Amino acid sequence: MLDATTRFFEEIDRRGYEPRLAKTAGKLRLDLHEGPQTTHWLLHIDHGRIQVSQEDREADTVIGTSPALFEDIAAGREHGIAAILRGDMTVAGDARLLVQVERIFPGDPESRGPRRRFQREVR
Amino acid sequence: MAASGTIRILDGNTFVVSEDTGDIEATPSEPTGLFSLDTRFLSTWVLKVNDERLNALSYDDLQYYEARFFLVPGMATHYIDAKLSIIRERAVGGSFREQITILNHDEKAVDLEIRMDAGSDFADLFQVKDEILNKKGEIYSEVEPDRLRLGYRRGNFVRETVISSSAPARYDSQGFAYTIHLEPNEQWETRIDVETLAVGPGGRDLRIGVRAHGTERLALQHDLEKWIREAPKLNSQHEDLASTYRRSLVDLAALRFSPLSLGGATLPAAGLPWFMTMFGRDSILTCLQTLPFTPALSKTTLRILASLQGTRFDDFRDEDPGRILHEMRYGETAAFEEQPHSPYYGSVDATPLFVVLLDEYERWTGDVALVKELEQESRAALRWVDEYADLVGNGYIWYERRNTDTGLENQCWKDSWDSISYSDGRLPPFPRATCEVQGYAYDAKVRAARLAREFWNDPAYADQLEREAAELKQRFNQDFWVDDGEYFALALDPDGRQCDVLSSNIGHLLWSGIVDHDRAEKIAGHLVGPRLFSGWGVRTLAEGEIRYNPIGYHNGTIWPFDNSFIAWGLRRYGFSEEAATIASGILDAATYFDGRLPEAFGGYHRDLTKFPVEYPTACSPQAWSTGTPLLLLRTMLGLEPHEGHLSVDPRLPIGMGRIEVLDIPGRWGRVDAFARGRLDLHRLTD
Repeated sequence: MLDATTRFFEEIDRRGYEPRLAKTAGKLRLDLHEGPQTTHWLLHIDHGRIQVSQEDREADTVIGTSPALFEDIAAGREHGIAAILRGDMTVAGDARLLVQVERIFPGDPESRGPRRRFQREVR
Repeated sequence: MAASGTIRILDGNTFVVSEDTGDIEATPSEPTGLFSLDTRFLSTWVLKVNDERLNALSYDDLQYYEARFFLVPGMATHYIDAKLSIIRERAVGGSFREQITILNHDEKAVDLEIRMDAGSDFADLFQVKDEILNKKGEIYSEVEPDRLRLGYRRGNFVRETVISSSAPARYDSQGFAYTIHLEPNEQWETRIDVETLAVGPGGRDLRIGVRAHGTERLALQHDLEKWIREAPKLNSQHEDLASTYRRSLVDLAALRFSPLSLGGATLPAAGLPWFMTMFGRDSILTCLQTLPFTPALSKTTLRILASLQGTRFDDFRDEDPGRILHEMRYGETAAFEEQPHSPYYGSVDATPLFVVLLDEYERWTGDVALVKELEQESRAALRWVDEYADLVGNGYIWYERRNTDTGLENQCWKDSWDSISYSDGRLPPFPRATCEVQGYAYDAKVRAARLAREFWNDPAYADQLEREAAELKQRFNQDFWVDDGEYFALALDPDGRQCDVLSSNIGHLLWSGIVDHDRAEKIAGHLVGPRLFSGWGVRTLAEGEIRYNPIGYHNGTIWPFDNSFIAWGLRRYGFSEEAATIASGILDAATYFDGRLPEAFGGYHRDLTKFPVEYPTACSPQAWSTGTPLLLLRTMLGLEPHEGHLSVDPRLPIGMGRIEVLDIPGRWGRVDAFARGRLDLHRLTD
């Protein structure tokens, strides 16, 4: 069920390095709460090098949300910053780290990007 | 003192706008209130004594974060023979605090019923501005023994105003009250605390750990004193200039803003009341204006904008990889994606200007470390210019919003809907390429070439950028030149047709250096000529154009910030008298606003109105208007970093007298600049 979330973290783990986090260092833990159960993902970022684990360890930044919302964020259907402003995702600790990590979340899959006119139709 | 009769105090993005009695009674046309995080936390705050409203004898806005109101019972129409005075002293600094003191001057004892009506509509700043009020959530009010809690809840989005008093009060759902007895010459006082809370499900406030400085009054005062002490000193025979300079420094201090994601470092927010937030364009241009005086703002601005640089395509937010943000908001409409500002990226000038600021910052400060730190972001910004902004494929920056509901149509600084037109008044189709943005792109490439060669160890990239810049300049001088009028078109439409109106934008072209030297004199002539120059400053659109209107937001008003860059551009091309003409016109205008230039004022001719007519809903103080006197000073004094030193080459009008600017910070340590007015400007303005 939680395909996009797992894929998102596995993909980060596989790459091992993320240039957009080259200036970032710290541990960020994601707590996904569902009833009595909490799933954890821990990112250990050291100037772009990233280790992913599912340990429940202390972190500089802890973000908390539901598995369903994070699934949408990991798929680009929901936006991380908006979710925080809305209170649907919470941050404890160093908010800077979250703002940096948020940038590696995927964009909206339905976005088309710039609309170039290189070969415009003749009217 | 605000022209509209409202009193404003602020700290960061918390501010209070009230009537001159201190009361708040918000209506769509009188958007007063206590605001924080782009949300109104108090829309009613009315003090009554024995059920009577109070009348203002006077008020002081002591510092930007505090104000004091002297009041007596009864309305202004009554004959005032007060036996009672009421003093309200208030300050913002994270939260809002008000001290109420009541003095009995009567020879008899009095019994008083003191009441404060309190309420909040929790309007999003966008709803206040656009006069829409249809809240989707639930407003509640909880009376507790020692406090009143006003709240708004929509899903997990919760905003609360918590009011408490040092003197015991009786709280009800619409305010709180005291019954007091005062003997002759006795006084009574209470301190009221109003906390604004943005609570998440864990009970944790969004803003924890983001304060730039302590929020207590004393900490604010020390912070302001330090800010003033660290800035250069200005001594001038021209007293108005000295007070304008001081006003600018204090307002810049007030407009500093700590984004949630930067751990307390500050950058200039755009302006009060609507724009107490991060704007890419406004923050960068303000930094460029203030670099010689307050260089630290530039460092934090560059860092925060870099940390939020676009990384993906998002059509709702008009985000692309490498793009620098336009605007960040924290209110309900951003949270629920009814507005795209989380953040919104729809501007095309912030991205090249980011690179321009980085280079200018290094030239002043010698901070090579930051240039190296931001190499990848600068390259990504330049890549955006070439890859994602060129929508037509002819080497220019174009814009066309992808968010067609709530995105900005015009993504240049003149961002109102009707700001870009042909000379017959029609509006062009999209995408559009405005002229000044091509200038910024040219300047960004030229400056990045220097950074690449000197600091990034990439001479090949430097060569490439210089080649591209030279090609752009050549192409631009062909495609944008309006032969008939001998100036540059405001914009091109997607078929290459010119929006051939005469506009202030041509002044920015001089600043960027994209104008061929043999054309600069024509441009300078237009800028101080009768169609553009009003006597106070350069109009956004020239008199005689179909859409010209002296109070048209971007179609005829005069924007002080615009003029400061125009003056800088004129100076760059050697037109120092023209630059001084504009500088002295704008600085003269500032004296009519107690040294606080508004966002814009009317384009009426100076002889007609004798004083500058403030644009009706202009924002004040506004960061780039606040930065304007500083850039005009730089321009008139000819302050320029040159091979590690500060060169000074003053060109001041005679009326300016003698000016000294002491302790200008930079890579040279601290240096003084002296100047005396020697230019006779009558030759130009007659």
